[in-house]
Amino acid sequence: MADSAMTAQAGTAHAGVLEHSPFGIRTPKLAMWLFIMADAATFGAILFAYGYLRVGAVNWTRPFAFFPSILNGIVMTVVLLTSSLTMLTAVVAAQRGRVATCVRWMGVTALLGAAFAALHLREWFKMFHEGWSPSTNPLGGPAQFGATFFGITGLHLLHVTCGVIAILVIALLVRRGRLTAAAVETTGLYWHFVDLVWMFVFPLVYLMNAR
Amino acid sequence: MQVYVLVWIGSICLVGAEVLLAYAHLRTPVLLAALLVLAFLEAGAALLFFMHLKYERPTLFWSLIPALVFVFLLMDHLWPDALRLSSLRAP
Repeated sequence: MADSAMTAQAGTAHAGVLEHSPFGIRTPKLAMWLFIMADAATFGAILFAYGYLRVGAVNWTRPFAFFPSILNGIVMTVVLLTSSLTMLTAVVAAQRGRVATCVRWMGVTALLGAAFAALHLREWFKMFHEGWSPSTNPLGGPAQFGATFFGITGLHLLHVTCGVIAILVIALLVRRGRLTAAAVETTGLYWHFVDLVWMFVFPLVYLMNAR
Repeated sequence: MQVYVLVWIGSICLVGAEVLLAYAHLRTPVLLAALLVLAFLEAGAALLFFMHLKYERPTLFWSLIPALVFVFLLMDHLWPDALRLSSLRAP
């Protein structure tokens, strides 16, 4: 179906002329859903690969002590969950036409996303300092631990970074009146997906490797 | 907004439960199963409420989610080989 037809799915102006969307949503939102499905399969694949290596290894390493690694992970999780809530507040404000409130909450969301990335990088640099790398295990276990840990968390961190940039750009364009609430909602979908992926990364990569 | 706040509080409680389970000295397969159940509960709530899938037309849900579940089921074909590797030892 052509984009124009999908965009006009509400059909009020073109009723009887253009086909209605069977999904009842605008084209950008449908495209975001399709991207999310593809990305979910990507994260699923690397988490399955991690599981494969872990099940296949005899002496898998469990390097994470409660303090500071697991505690850091808990704080990161709460920060990301809270950023989902602030993003929802921005979406609701945008739908009610409160542009300034929407932009403010998007700014808070971006700040929380940046805080998550900073906490993540702090964990990474602590591990680098201890001798960890994608190909090195200072504890003597399989080197695949570093490869899977940095691979999975690195891909997620890349998504967080892209999300923070996207939120800031969309907020700026909403403030200038060049984008509407629909764009905020679509951006929010992506951000919630990033949060959703972390809901699997934290227990599978951190808690399953806790000492 | 009230529903969103409740989902947020519920998600944080589930994270707390996950951390408690991680230190409950469970066998690895039991811990994995328990953590996955809690993670799917969290993800389900996020999908339905945060991502508004509950409020969209059912066609959207049925077009997206079963296909993704099918992909994940196909990936499960790897496990027998991983279990075979774990039973191998160097001579």
